[in-house]
Amino acid sequence: MNIKEYIASGIIEAYVLGLASQPERAEFEQLCTQYPELVAARREFEEELEKHASEQAMQPPVGVKVKVLEAITGAPQDAPAPVSSNPPKIITMQNEKRGSSGLLRFVAAASVILLVVLTWFTYQSYKQNKDLENSNVALNEKLNSTQKILDAIVNETNVLKNPNTTVVNMVGTKVAPRSSANVYWDSTNNNVFLVVKNMPQLPSDKQYQLWALIDGKPTDLGVFDSKSDKVILKMKDTKKAQAFAITIEKQGGSPSPTLDSMQSLGKTLQSQ
Amino acid sequence: MGISTTYNTEQELVLALKRRDNQAFSTLYDNYAGALYSIIKQIITDNAELAGDVLQEVFINIYRKIDTYDQTKGRLFTWMLNIARNASIDTLRSKSYQNSQKNQELPDNVYKGTANQSVQLNVDNIGLKKVLEKLKPEHRVLVELAYFKGFTHEEIAEMMSIPLGTVKTRIRNALLQLREYLQ
Repeated sequence: MNIKEYIASGIIEAYVLGLASQPERAEFEQLCTQYPELVAARREFEEELEKHASEQAMQPPVGVKVKVLEAITGAPQDAPAPVSSNPPKIITMQNEKRGSSGLLRFVAAASVILLVVLTWFTYQSYKQNKDLENSNVALNEKLNSTQKILDAIVNETNVLKNPNTTVVNMVGTKVAPRSSANVYWDSTNNNVFLVVKNMPQLPSDKQYQLWALIDGKPTDLGVFDSKSDKVILKMKDTKKAQAFAITIEKQGGSPSPTLDSMQSLGKTLQSQ
Repeated sequence: MGISTTYNTEQELVLALKRRDNQAFSTLYDNYAGALYSIIKQIITDNAELAGDVLQEVFINIYRKIDTYDQTKGRLFTWMLNIARNASIDTLRSKSYQNSQKNQELPDNVYKGTANQSVQLNVDNIGLKKVLEKLKPEHRVLVELAYFKGFTHEEIAEMMSIPLGTVKTRIRNALLQLREYLQ
């Protein structure tokens, strides 16, 4: 065999790069034992290849070295058999990791959605509760005021219906011919009620004042305005009265009536 | 790539590795992981994560098979390079990888006569593949299929419809040319 031709045939490159067939490899290895120059030529190419490969080296991913060292530190020293089954094990773990991270992602996403939905429901429920509370308060207030009005009306009606109540029809004087009001006087409990029928509007600094004439002397029974939201006005009590009179007085009333401004007058049975 | 000062010769490093010296193994990784990762990336071109997994598998296999390494048959790097190349090609041919790559099945393309185009598209600007670009297209295809895709000469002969002897001769010539470009 011409060893120089053999060396130049490309068999060295094919052998080193793993591209030689099994018979070619066997022949090459056999010839290496006989021809040191073949070994030297092989070695020369190997060194070239190694030099080129190290020049072309790429930064391996971080973490691989740690994983490798962990794997070999825990690896059995004299047991090749379990050894070969380990790399697939690593791949399986990674698959599982992918699967569980997918599940984890799904659970995380579901949790966030659930949280948002629950928050919305809680807020809606809170809002609804607040609204109901507010409208409940408003309804109660309305009910209370309505009840008060109703009570007042019932009381007033009772006064009017009471057989002990004396009705005194007040008629207008010459000064105010159209003025008219009724006094309801309960002689049993001395309550005096006034129903304004028609009293002219007064300036804001003036008020009407009701008087009881007892043995010729006027007694103050309280002041009132021409217009009131109440049907019946509760005035001061009086035991006796021969007549009732209404005068125009300054705001808050006067200690004694201004008689020339007397608007209406009504006599009771006691005067007769 | 110089071996760390701890080991004056490759012989010393190999002996330390065969004693399962973890420090020696750490040095081995530091010195060769980059070069081996480069060859893995030249074969598994489209998935850096998978290439990292293969690098891990390769070093674990180096550790476990170090007793089978025979210095009379070649340098340590040559032995490791072939482990890395074989692991990469195995991964390339694995069912799970194939399923993820259905659209890029090379043999189909080769049969349709679009091999040149397909190979050119797969060439990266790294390592041996960079040198590969300098070859004539008909040589480049054969090296690409044989070295980077792991097809046997017989498979390539069938794929390309050329005689087996021609495949072998062209690959040998291509490798000799490649070697010239390496220097």
